Amino acid sequence: MAEVIRALRSAEEKIRARWSLLGPLIFSSFILAALLADLISPYDPWKRFNPYQMPGWEHLLGTNDMGHDILSELIFGSRVSLAVGFSAAILSATLGTAVGLFAGYFRGMADEVLMGITDIFLMIPQIPLIIVLAAFLRPSFWLMALLMGLLWWTALARIVRSRTLQVREMGFVAGAKAIGFSDNHVIFSDVLPNTLYVIAPKFMLTVASAMIAEASISFLGLSDPSMKSWGTMISYAFSRGGFINGMWWWYLPPGLCITVFVLSLVMMAGILEERDIEPVKVD
Amino acid sequence: MALLDIRNLSVSFETPQGLVKAATQVSLALEYNETLALVGETGCGKSVVVNAIMKLLPANAKVDGRVIYRGRDLLSLDEKEMARIRGQDIAIIFQNPSLALNPVYKISEQVSESMILKKRSSRSRAEEISSQLLQRLGLKGRESSYPFQLSGGMNQRAMIACSVVLGPKIIIADEPTKGLDQSMVGQVLGEIRKAKEVNGASLLLITHDMEVARQISDKVAVMYCGEVMEVGKTEEVLQAPSHPYTQALLDSLPERGFLPIPGPSPSMIDPPEGCRFHPRCPWRRDLCSIERPVQKSTTTGWVRCCR
Amino acid sequence: MLWGKTARYAIAFFLIISLNFAIPRAMPGDTLTNLMGEDVHLSEDAMLELKAKVGVDQPIHIQFLNYWRDLFHLDLGYSYHLHAPVSSLIRERIKWTMLLVAPSIIMGAFVGTLLGALAGWRRKEAKSRLQTTGFLLIYCTPPYFLSMLALYFLGFELGWFPLKGFYQSGTIGDIAHHLFLPVLIMTLFSASRNYMIMRGSVIQERQMLYASYARAKGLSSDQILFRHIFKNAALPIITLVALDFGFIFSGALFIEIVFSMHGMGNLIYDSLLCRDYPVLQGTFAVITIMVILANLLADWTYGLVDPRVRWQR
Repeated sequence: MAEVIRALRSAEEKIRARWSLLGPLIFSSFILAALLADLISPYDPWKRFNPYQMPGWEHLLGTNDMGHDILSELIFGSRVSLAVGFSAAILSATLGTAVGLFAGYFRGMADEVLMGITDIFLMIPQIPLIIVLAAFLRPSFWLMALLMGLLWWTALARIVRSRTLQVREMGFVAGAKAIGFSDNHVIFSDVLPNTLYVIAPKFMLTVASAMIAEASISFLGLSDPSMKSWGTMISYAFSRGGFINGMWWWYLPPGLCITVFVLSLVMMAGILEERDIEPVKVD
Repeated sequence: MALLDIRNLSVSFETPQGLVKAATQVSLALEYNETLALVGETGCGKSVVVNAIMKLLPANAKVDGRVIYRGRDLLSLDEKEMARIRGQDIAIIFQNPSLALNPVYKISEQVSESMILKKRSSRSRAEEISSQLLQRLGLKGRESSYPFQLSGGMNQRAMIACSVVLGPKIIIADEPTKGLDQSMVGQVLGEIRKAKEVNGASLLLITHDMEVARQISDKVAVMYCGEVMEVGKTEEVLQAPSHPYTQALLDSLPERGFLPIPGPSPSMIDPPEGCRFHPRCPWRRDLCSIERPVQKSTTTGWVRCCR
Repeated sequence: MLWGKTARYAIAFFLIISLNFAIPRAMPGDTLTNLMGEDVHLSEDAMLELKAKVGVDQPIHIQFLNYWRDLFHLDLGYSYHLHAPVSSLIRERIKWTMLLVAPSIIMGAFVGTLLGALAGWRRKEAKSRLQTTGFLLIYCTPPYFLSMLALYFLGFELGWFPLKGFYQSGTIGDIAHHLFLPVLIMTLFSASRNYMIMRGSVIQERQMLYASYARAKGLSSDQILFRHIFKNAALPIITLVALDFGFIFSGALFIEIVFSMHGMGNLIYDSLLCRDYPVLQGTFAVITIMVILANLLADWTYGLVDPRVRWQR
């Protein structure tokens, strides 16, 4: 009986282990596709063929109103979408980590001021603000990433701060301070490494929401027309009649790509977050 | 026939570090109206034993043996039947009252809850009884306070009220005096004893403190590294201990000069072969590291030692 | 404590609205154009008159004071494209948005927290795993794409629902028919976010000692969840949902666009096409006010529900 249970349990663990591989697998294949776009893309995404072709052998995912090959657009578009997501997340992670570390480590006045600023930034309706700013400025993906990075650090700042408050009370931090290491040294070599595991999952989630936001803002036509992203593909399909005429092959692939890639990020973040849950307690 | 008969209870936990053997073949009997103290250092598995009796262990726990209460093996009951036993027949008092009480409900609500849900009492009747009980425990005028408004000692009494409101036959108290200052210990023990007497219940008290055991119990069981080493009447065990570990525990009491037990605490994943206490035992012989000692009768109980 | 928070909200309100004032004046290009919108063609005389009216010639601090004075008089400027005051345009549109947002947020909060709590409580069960996967997929999809999918399959392929938005002249039945699908999508969208938060919250709370004590008291699994864990787990949700309000509301704007509804979303969409800046800025101000009010309301509710906050004031 016990053996049966053990066998069942190990089978379940294997299934779960396999599931947990799914996120990294999807993630890395998308990254690979973006990096190797020149090699794997069947055509130049700007080359014009017959427009409005259904998916077929010639064009696996069909063509759009300009006669561009959708699959090629999709592969090259992933570069822009991923780049926007990652640069926004890197910027906001840097800002959020810095704010959280300094507020949590120095506490007192610095904490009050930094957290006050964080609270104010939390109140900003982010996507509407980006829309307004993008309307005034020349459309650009880099600008979009910059704005998102500048607006999205707040959640991470709060998490890093509360983790820092915990870490700074731990013995080794007090020890390092007592030995006489500078605050900078303690923050970067003792505190920061111990906050990384709360930063990593949040970073993934920030990439995810930056990509959804990119797709949303591009949907409004606020993106650079000289570049293609998944969001602009859907936007054109919607505004140039692809949607209303039922040309599903035009907007379905980019939308599904966003969903699947975001899903892989959320899955990985979930695995990272759950790693520490359920500590075993004896007595 | 004892009220509660624990036979060969073993509990282990599957962990990434290995199988933690938290309790090994624990056998204990709790008689009617008796107070049994289960004594041992922190981490010896005594909380695991009571949580196994109540079936409150986490899902990764593997439990073997039998726990017989009134002719029924509790370990074979399903969650629904067990829920009926908890609170009504066997109640437990946790060691950390400020965390065990729900922060967002008044204490009177938490006491009357069991009456309403389990005895189907009317709300007014339940509240009447619970406020009487709280008053008897010295919480008059505090019935509609929230746990965060009360001191640790007050919360301890509120939890005693929550646990005994249904008149259980067995009260289990898990380190009820841990973390309390000395003046509070006697008071809390008094409350627990009163609750036991009012209900005509038996008491199973878990403690690391020999002095507490002496004050309140009829019988003492000493646990070390997941095994029960010695059982007997309190006077006998405390006056003339048969097991070297019991002796060492007594020697570590303040009035005996705080003598620490030599050697490190044993690993629960890889416990010592033979007698589990042998690495730290002053009377160790060669046999001790090879053979697990069998139970030997003493005047009022038994001991697991070869000497 | 609540006063400190309220002061913080007041500062946030002041700064964000001031930012709104600064944007058209700080952005590249002609300030007058930035204030009036592109492609506004007027005669020379009218232009001068407007200049005086908009007040670009006055010192910046006077403009700033005037801007706040106007705001308190609910004057959000004038749309030269639509030839109407921005405030009346928004008032006209916001009720349709509210018709979409209000029921969806309420239902989404209800469905999301309830199912999320059950999923966190019974997370090993196949049913709740399946449910979590479903909500996770919705969570990961941009709301407008979700709308497009629903509209394509249920409207286009199956013909169950109308493809175009609803009309002001419609009867209640007509409006309900048109509203059903967008409200469904919006509900699922906001439910998915509450679901994820509540599930995580319950998974954390179930490890608390009071949960095992409730079990030790002899409560059944459902009683522990709904009487003990739910209230504790739902508390952080109140704040998180309020912070999420801006995001949820933005999502509604996109859903509106896909369903061609006559609300704020399409107002923004149209004003983006012709760069009708006054309308964009007006909507931003209104959304800011709504987000801040939502957070204020959340803090207030939190204080009512959590005794620890209620008594510490």
